[in-house]
Amino acid sequence: MRRRAAWAIVCALALPTAGLAQVDNDLDRIPDAANTQQSAQTLGSANRIFYLQDDLIATARRDDLLVAFPPPPVAGWEERIFADARTQWALADDLTLVYSGRLNLRAEDGLEFPSHENIRHDFREGYLAWKIDGETFLDFGRINLKSGVALGFNPTDFFKTRAVVEPLSADPSVLREDRLGTLMLYGQHLWEHAALSLAAAPKLTDPSAVYLNTNLPSFNPVFDRTNAATRLLAKGNIELFDDFNPELLAYSEDGHWSFGTNLTRGFGQQIVGYVEWAGGDRPDLADDALHYGRDTGTIPLAAPLPLPVGPARAFQNDAAAGLSYTTESKITFNLEYHYHQSGFSDADWRSWFGAGNLHIAPLDAELWYIRGYAADQQEPVARQEAFLRADWQDAFIQDLELTAFVNADLRDFSSFAQMTADYYLSREWTVGALASDSFGSRRTDYGSLPGSATILVRVSRYF
Amino acid sequence: MTRFRLWFAALALFAATTAAAAESPQDIVAKADAIRNPGKPFRATSVLTEYRSGQPADRNILVVYSKIDPATRQFRNLARYIDPPRDAGKMVLLGSVLWFYDPASKDSVRISPQQRLTGQAAIGDVLTVNLAIDYTASLVNEETISDAAKQQRKCWHLDMKAATETATYNHVEYWVEEGSYDPIKAKFYSDSGRLLKILYYRNYLERLDGVRPTQAVIIDAVDASLVTIVDFSDSKFQDIPDTWFQRDYLPHLNPE
Repeated sequence: MRRRAAWAIVCALALPTAGLAQVDNDLDRIPDAANTQQSAQTLGSANRIFYLQDDLIATARRDDLLVAFPPPPVAGWEERIFADARTQWALADDLTLVYSGRLNLRAEDGLEFPSHENIRHDFREGYLAWKIDGETFLDFGRINLKSGVALGFNPTDFFKTRAVVEPLSADPSVLREDRLGTLMLYGQHLWEHAALSLAAAPKLTDPSAVYLNTNLPSFNPVFDRTNAATRLLAKGNIELFDDFNPELLAYSEDGHWSFGTNLTRGFGQQIVGYVEWAGGDRPDLADDALHYGRDTGTIPLAAPLPLPVGPARAFQNDAAAGLSYTTESKITFNLEYHYHQSGFSDADWRSWFGAGNLHIAPLDAELWYIRGYAADQQEPVARQEAFLRADWQDAFIQDLELTAFVNADLRDFSSFAQMTADYYLSREWTVGALASDSFGSRRTDYGSLPGSATILVRVSRYF
Repeated sequence: MTRFRLWFAALALFAATTAAAAESPQDIVAKADAIRNPGKPFRATSVLTEYRSGQPADRNILVVYSKIDPATRQFRNLARYIDPPRDAGKMVLLGSVLWFYDPASKDSVRISPQQRLTGQAAIGDVLTVNLAIDYTASLVNEETISDAAKQQRKCWHLDMKAATETATYNHVEYWVEEGSYDPIKAKFYSDSGRLLKILYYRNYLERLDGVRPTQAVIIDAVDASLVTIVDFSDSKFQDIPDTWFQRDYLPHLNPE
């Protein structure tokens, strides 16, 4: 017995220490094909991205609207093929020419064919980038300048207004991918823990009327969308202490100043919190839209207005606060609260539906003009909204990405929801589908919209 | 004979503890860190090939710029996607604060450490991490194990517990070859003690002024069909200003 115990002690001590080889079954999982060193010599360039995409869209219309939608009606179907390019050329060691744009071929329900409307070019960006030194940069040309840390609504993204042309998705993160830059001079200086940026965009044209799908220019940089006012932006950030790096912004549009701030903070391994705020003198949405409609000739000066219009600007706040949370199963949720003080109040909504009940066609057109103007400005109509988005990579199977979001008006709890699925067939090919719908009664924000459900299928080829 | 075996075992145990006393486990990990990555700023191209059930299924190529943060003595990484084309130009800034930059939207989004792990750039980050900073090591014993080429290597077997909040994994087992300090193998565990990944370093070649591994084999312990091979190439020392490691620099990085 003692002998057996001694052997057990010997084995326990000797096996690990005397260095007998372990058996590693995991080595059998290494594929034979993996024994060749892979090289990156057949690479493309990260500075040149080109792809073709085909989209087919079907939209269901609501026919029981409380406020009649003016012609042309929402297109029932649309087919769009486009070539999208982002590229740059080094002109000298520190000087680069950047181009970004999209050439669209499109046909849709109600659009004459053939016509110049069937072909359209979005000149997103075209600028010279001068790297003065490793810390100072100066760019000149049409530049897409984005600000903000929130996902669903960016109060500090001052250059977003009128910049999105014919979006294929309502997902805020996708809207930013195809928007027009502003002609500007943009300079930036970086320090190790701070940055200062200045942008100056001149007024080149007078404001133009809000475009419809049926009167979009074909080959035109449409600076009237982006340079119809003199705009200045200064923004800077400094890391005051660990994980506290606020960004402050000051923005002027034709002499009217707004201010803003962005702040993010991490909470543990899975959560990031963020707050974005902007405030400045501005009119209410209805006032702003109706004045703009009159100034640009869409609304005749003598036409009666459907909502009471006040002349005064007042200090108004916009804010977005939220957090992102990522699970171990690769799902990232973003939950946000949005506040847009110049959006519709309860009284505005009552007036909007009340005026619509009169069923006077010119008034109906003005009512819908207000909402179209808000969309053109990339701002919500609602004063308070909740936004929830989920992004799931490798959902159920490898290379399938699912994205879904819902925007809910907190006044009437109507909502808009969209779900997107993209499957990465190969390094070149992606297929995708999108479905969206709006929910709510006829007398609500989203329930009153003329288009209800939308389905889109697409295929993309990257080069 | 039995007495001889007992003496032999005791001697071996003594030898192991003496070696550990002469060189602390933390020193061993630090020397292995220095084998994996140099102390000077550098860039390297990483080709990540995923194999599913033995067949190549996916490939990502990233250029990773790495520099030690003097405050934390940990690497900060800026990873830029080259391939596949749909991801080309996207960047992940992996420092004390993490940002994801998409050139399509010209937008930077702050991400959490967990969200970092959903992308392939995290693998590059894990491979440059200075384990001696993030983990507290203790010596388990000396072992002879098979390396990725099934060659026998005499190693220190180290057990490492997360020592900082930034440590990606709760617990790591680590095998470092005695004498050369070459890292051979590591096993990474979750907070709950679940084995997540097994990693082998192989193909030691001259790179960045030293003989370093040029390939990492990552065996997924959760998904039994998945193995990822990371090949490092085009490694070179590069002066990387500290200004690169902030959100506002990302739109300016266009090295070609």
